[in-house]
Parts: sequence; structure tokens; C-alpha cells
Amino acid sequence: MVNLAGVRMGGQPGELASVLCGTIFYQGHKIVEDEERGLFDRAAAEKLVARQGELSDETGCPSILHIYARSSEAFERYLDFTEKVWSGPFIIDSADPATRMAAAALASEQGYADKAIYNSISLATDEAEARAIRDSELDSAIILAYNPTQPGVEGSLAVLETGGAAREKGLLDAARDMGINNILIDPAVLPLGSGAGAALRFSVAAKARLGLPVGSGIHNAVSSWPWLSGKDAAAKRGCDAAAAAMQLLAAADFLLYGPIESAEIIFPAAAMADILIAEAVLDLEIEPVDEHPLHRLV
Amino acid sequence: MTEDNNRDGRLYTDPWPPLRGDYQVGDPRSAVAVVTLASPLLIKGSAIFGQCVTENLGLEKIVANVISNCNIRYVIICGLESKGHLPGNTLLALHKNGIDPQGRIVGSKGAIPFIQNLPPEAISRFQEQVELIERIGLVDVEEIEALVARHKKEPYPGEPFLVFKRKAPIRAMAAGDADLTLGAGVVMDASAWLVMEEV
Repeated sequence: MVNLAGVRMGGQPGELASVLCGTIFYQGHKIVEDEERGLFDRAAAEKLVARQGELSDETGCPSILHIYARSSEAFERYLDFTEKVWSGPFIIDSADPATRMAAAALASEQGYADKAIYNSISLATDEAEARAIRDSELDSAIILAYNPTQPGVEGSLAVLETGGAAREKGLLDAARDMGINNILIDPAVLPLGSGAGAALRFSVAAKARLGLPVGSGIHNAVSSWPWLSGKDAAAKRGCDAAAAAMQLLAAADFLLYGPIESAEIIFPAAAMADILIAEAVLDLEIEPVDEHPLHRLV
Repeated sequence: MTEDNNRDGRLYTDPWPPLRGDYQVGDPRSAVAVVTLASPLLIKGSAIFGQCVTENLGLEKIVANVISNCNIRYVIICGLESKGHLPGNTLLALHKNGIDPQGRIVGSKGAIPFIQNLPPEAISRFQEQVELIERIGLVDVEEIEALVARHKKEPYPGEPFLVFKRKAPIRAMAAGDADLTLGAGVVMDASAWLVMEEV
């Protein structure tokens, strides 16, 4: 079990509520006016962040703000905004390694290292990025268990534990060398048809074997499904909620649930999954915590 | 698709393209495919066009769909590069250098540039069949369409290359390594996802 700035994650299935991480300022987010500079509609952003918080309070599922930035300049503006409207943990994310590194340094400088979660350490993490993480004060990170040299559960475990054929050292040891103590595992969800389902089995295996919190961005499997793209919004929302619940049943402790606007469908689905799981293990002497959806919503 | 242009159905597979993805099909008899990277552009006149934002699975789909159509002799790489992933840079590297024994695309600057679902023969065929036209950053649709119109060539002299999905090796499981208790004497081997009765 890990404690990220007051948000606990992990434990036995049924014990803690799922932690739900909504992404803001993602690529193509309508509230962002300039992705490079980080200019955005502040009022709309505040509303989205507040809504995620309200749903957390109502359901008992804690939440984390997942901040995506295209550039370090943008991240600086997003962090300035975040510190005013969000008191919980947040995830630092970018497709650009230079932006991630700058964000880790900035979060450290401004005193938010204990709230920041680096996303992610993976096969793509080179020495420069490893040094930047080590030099920052961050001690929490998501480790991406993607192993393109050996697809499937065994390959994902290998990349974490030994590095497999792609890396000399396992990503878990590498992360600890970077000063990461709070390790979260992401199975790396591939598109449907390319192996998305393996993420579910891997989640169970990794949690049982490593004893670390596990979670994924399984919404990516839904959004990258060409067949579904031609269907209406209700069908897509239904699949998003179903995928979230399936991932939680497959032992996930947290969900990177995608666009923060999806909070309206994900929180109820996750709370329902949490209640079902908690009820399923009640006779195994696993007691849900006081703030669990089982105690709040039924 | 007509018999004249797909003699005995041998110039491209039926159906073509064989793999689904974020693309649109134009005229399968065209000699040009267009990869618009992170830019959502509509390009007329090409055999197929679409975005590619990943440096691994996205590239695999491009290769598989291109080599299954002998008419395609050029791939135009245009649009804005996908930050960090660098699929444009990686596609150029794949065509120029191929992959190493672990599947890593040699010379790519992308984040995780690996090929996992294509046999080496498919990559060789891609290298032989098409010429890449590097115009990364170009988003002017008229200019891209003019490029498409300018490039014509005889079909590749061979059969369409159909890539079959690589299946994960089936591993014999030894039941009994139970590490999850489901109650009532039922346990689970979490790695194998095998549910069994406790011995």
C-alpha cells in the first residue's frame, strides 16, 4: 500500500476505494487555446477540477489530477493553476521527455515533490531522463510495463523485474535507483486486437507477485477501437464505463480514466465496481475502509 | 476494385487494407500512400491516407497495409510530427536501417521504437517496394495532393504480401502455484489466470 499525499492506494481488493485520475489539458482538450504556451479557459478548467473533487467526496473514490503538458512553458502555467484549485496529488505527463524532466524539476523547486507523480518510467527512459528524475525530489512514479520484445504477461513482468531482452536492468530497480519509493504499475494498454486484454491478466499477476498498486489507462483501448468510432456517444460511454469496471475487477487500484470530462460516468462505474468487489470478499475478512463506497452509497 | 486494375486479384489483397486503423482509403490503384503523422488531413488522390502517432504499432499497420498492395510505390510522410513518439523519424529509420535482432528499429529517435508483429521479410519487402518521400511538417493539403499527383510508377513486380498476426507462444502451465485465495477452497494462480481447487 502506498500513501501519496494522503491518498492511499493498494491493499487487498475490496479494502480501499479505487483512485481515479482524470486528465486535464490533454491533446485536443477544448479548453486549451494554445497547447505550446499553456493558455486555457481558466473558468472551464476550474469547473472540471471541482467536479472531479465533488464526485470524489460523494462516492468515496479518491482522485488525482493528471496534468498533460505539451511543453515546459505550458506545464508551468498548468502548475500555477493547479496549486490554486487542487490540494491533492497530481500526475506529471507529457509525450515529450524534455517537458517531463522540466516539470519534475519545477514541481521540486516549488515544493510539490511530495504530491507529484512522474508518468512514466519505461523502456524509453534514457540516462538523461533518469538523471533528471534522480536529481528531482520526486519519489513517486508510474512504471510502464510495456515490453515490445516479448508481448504478453511474462514479457511485461520481465521488463519490470529483469529488463528482459530490451534492457540490462529491470525497471523496478531502475526506478528505485532514481529515488522512486512509491511505485505504481501500469500494464500499458494496447489497442483492442493488439493485446489489450493482456493488461487485465497482467494486472492481477503483477499485483499478486509484486505487491504494488496497479492501474491502467484502459480507456485507450476503447478510444482506439475503429469499429466503435462510428457509433454514438452512448455506446462509447457504455464501453468506457465497462472497461473501467473490468480493469477494477482485474485487481486495479487506480484508473487513468482519460479526459476529466469522463468523471461523470467513471465515478459511478468505479464506485459500483468497488462495492461489488467489497461485497464479494466480505467473508474473507477483508474490511472496507470507512470512506469506501460500500459505506457511502448503499 | 476492378478486375482490370487488380488482375486476378493479385495486385492487392481482398479485402484491402487488411488491417483496420485510423485511415481512409482512396483509390487502391494509386501509387501513393500518405502518412499525415499527427495532423488530421484529408488527402485526395492517394491509395490510402491517415494519421500515425505511435512509433511501434502504428508503423506496423502502415507497413502491413502498404505491402499488401503492389500498386503502392511511394509513401509520403507529412504533417506534424508526434512529439516524443516521433513516428515520422522512426518510419524513415525503419525503411533505411531495418530492425535489430530484438526488434528495435535501428537509428530511430522515437520513444519505444520496436516492431513486434512483422516478420523480417515484411520489412525487407517494404524497403524494396516503396520509396519514402520525407515532408515532415508539411500540412498544406494542396501541396500534398500535388505531390501525390506527381508520383506514378508501375506496380511492384510480385504478389501482395499478407502479414499474419504473430501469435504469442503457448506455454504449458503447471497448475498449483496458487497465490490468490478466492475462498471456499478455491485459489487462483495469478500469473496463469488459472482458477482451481485447493489441494
